Amino acid sequence: MKRFFAKLLISLAYTLRSSKKYQKRRKFFYNLLENDNYKYKKYFDAFMIFLIFVSVFVLIREVKHHISDWLMVFNNYVISIVFLIEYILRLWVNGSVSAIIIEQDEHDTMLSREFQLDVALKRIFKRKFSYMMTPKAIIDLLAIMPFFHELRLLRLFVLFRVFKLFRYTKSFTGLVSVLASKKFEFFTLFLFTSIVVFVSSVLIYVLEGSDPQSNIKSFFSAVYWSVVTLSTVGFGDFTPVTQEGRFITMFIIVSGVGVLSFFTSLIVSAFNERLDEFKEAKTVENISKLQRFYLICGFDSIAKEVVKEYKFRKKNIVVIDSDEEKVQEAKQMGLKALCLNPGSVASYEKLAIEPHRQIKAVLCLANDDIDNVYAALTIRSFDKKVRIVSLLMNDANRTKLKFAGVDDIIYPQELIGMITKELVGQPVAFEAIHALRSENSMVKIDEIIITEAILNNYSYVGELQNKRYRIVLLGVYKKQYERFWFNPIDSTLLELGDILLVIGYFPFIYEFEKHLMKRVEDA
Amino acid sequence: MPKSALIFGSDKYAIEIANSVKESYEIEFFVMDENEQIDFDGEYKKNVFDLSDEWYNTEKFEDVENTIVFCTLSEESENVFLVISLRSNFDSLPIVAIAKNKESVDKLKMAGANKVIPIEQTTAEIISDIIHNPIASKVLHEILYEKSDLKLAQIEVENAEIFGGEFPADIDWSRYRGVVVLSIMHKDLSTEFIYSSKSKRHELKNGDMIIVVGYERDIVEFEKLVGSRRYVNWSDWSW
Repeated sequence: MKRFFAKLLISLAYTLRSSKKYQKRRKFFYNLLENDNYKYKKYFDAFMIFLIFVSVFVLIREVKHHISDWLMVFNNYVISIVFLIEYILRLWVNGSVSAIIIEQDEHDTMLSREFQLDVALKRIFKRKFSYMMTPKAIIDLLAIMPFFHELRLLRLFVLFRVFKLFRYTKSFTGLVSVLASKKFEFFTLFLFTSIVVFVSSVLIYVLEGSDPQSNIKSFFSAVYWSVVTLSTVGFGDFTPVTQEGRFITMFIIVSGVGVLSFFTSLIVSAFNERLDEFKEAKTVENISKLQRFYLICGFDSIAKEVVKEYKFRKKNIVVIDSDEEKVQEAKQMGLKALCLNPGSVASYEKLAIEPHRQIKAVLCLANDDIDNVYAALTIRSFDKKVRIVSLLMNDANRTKLKFAGVDDIIYPQELIGMITKELVGQPVAFEAIHALRSENSMVKIDEIIITEAILNNYSYVGELQNKRYRIVLLGVYKKQYERFWFNPIDSTLLELGDILLVIGYFPFIYEFEKHLMKRVEDA
Repeated sequence: MPKSALIFGSDKYAIEIANSVKESYEIEFFVMDENEQIDFDGEYKKNVFDLSDEWYNTEKFEDVENTIVFCTLSEESENVFLVISLRSNFDSLPIVAIAKNKESVDKLKMAGANKVIPIEQTTAEIISDIIHNPIASKVLHEILYEKSDLKLAQIEVENAEIFGGEFPADIDWSRYRGVVVLSIMHKDLSTEFIYSSKSKRHELKNGDMIIVVGYERDIVEFEKLVGSRRYVNWSDWSW
């Protein structure tokens, strides 16, 4: 029987591992419950927070008002069942049972022995139990308790639902982690406070307890009085009447001021120490959410000019540099910047991004070829496809940048030489071309990609009617042949992916593009 | 008389400029320190200068028709001072200056440079173009700077009668098959883009400049047609 059960379990484990449907569902629930970068998680969290507030509202309202039956049912059963399902799902996605069984089976097969069902079950139990014992899981479990609403005491367990907020709001988690970083200091403070409370309670009880005029008649009242006085709240419902009692009061008030100051300074220093860490974590989180962005490695003078460029100003830009001062400068320019070494893979792992999907292009813009080569090589080591543009400061390093996998190399020195040559030879023509490139000019040179929608409307260059829109068609770039056809004749066939190079006033180009897309509708 | 390019400074940009224009100009370098080691190894003539006014009394700067000056001193303040000194001594001397950033561009222009090339800004513009309009950037780069069959030419109109008093916007430029007319600069120095003259009614006249892109033979044909020449007195233009 045991052998049969073991076989069944192993077979089931392998089936689940190879089942795409099962793995896909498991991954979906894992993302929904645990992955902060999953786009639908925020909606799920918002829904759970809403349920929590409904529970608390019912608890408060119920004290003095009648709650309608449907709301009670919703509160006692629907919400509790939702929490129960959530608890079970979390238990399911935290640690894979099938993986443990398969691992055990492979282990036993290697050692040529029978599958040890007991060991596997123990490991599964240990794994799940260790999750169930985590503070968050305990809170989740206790939050289901109000399900048993008839037990009045259990209604207070609704408050555990409030604790669940820790799970759904990161700020709370941040607060806890800040306080946890000062564990020792808080423990010391707690110890000191406990001793002061205990000593003063004993003293006040001994000195006042037997006095008929005093209202501190029990040791509990003495402890209560000590805590209220130490916290500098001082309700005044219990007051010392003897000379000695008042002397103790002065001592405890002074101690209270010290305790409060110490407590406040502890929290402030804990936050100060971790403020940068929080900000960095927030930046990383924001970056990981970006759909597409440009990554600038090295924030030197040319990088600063690049981000000022109009075309870049409208785009998402992320800057990384190992120099903290440069990072601060980038932040002051309103960019998302992090102090990370562009030449380390760990830096990109920390960004928690999918490079091929999120990075549009990497710009290695350090004023040092060594840094640029190193950054380019690092990026190429984990992504072969992403486009890399790099500055070249010394022509002798050109081949090194090419070897490092850089797609486009910009050599300022060479540029200045070429510009000068053209400028000196044909100044007017140069200025005309410069105007086309300038961001301040309304005249632009633009690229229009021939899409299927355009192809449905037009097949030949002669049909485009660019002259009607006062657009100059400089030529067509045929992607298929990687060749540029200058001033194409009217019968030139348009193909999918071709790029039209057009020159004209920006608003006219915009109208022309609209016209290319809309012809069928017009007809 | 051969044209001469007088280059002040000796850094990598100065050398690059010398190499770029040496085919059309006789190069002379001006350095501040006689013992300064420079890369050109005697290929070009080297003169020593300082920022006082005494050494300017030289014939080299008098022939403004055939001389162009490049100011490429790496110290920005010295470069500005050099430009202002040259301009105060020689009104019509064509001066091209290299600037590191935007701030220096403004100062150099105010000092009297005809044209200022900002290194960082220009590089940034090229990077921006390469990223956002890669094909356009590649095509323009090839036309402007590399050995491409396509050429960019500025052509001065000398036979405006062929246009019959038409306005640029009304001319069917496709008649001139082979070339694409990009821009027109009127004699009064106002530029206008070919198809955009809706607000500006200015017929083509002799002396106007037409900027065209095309293959060499087509440009030559176009030149014959408009009776023009590809020459311009550079120092007349200033932006």
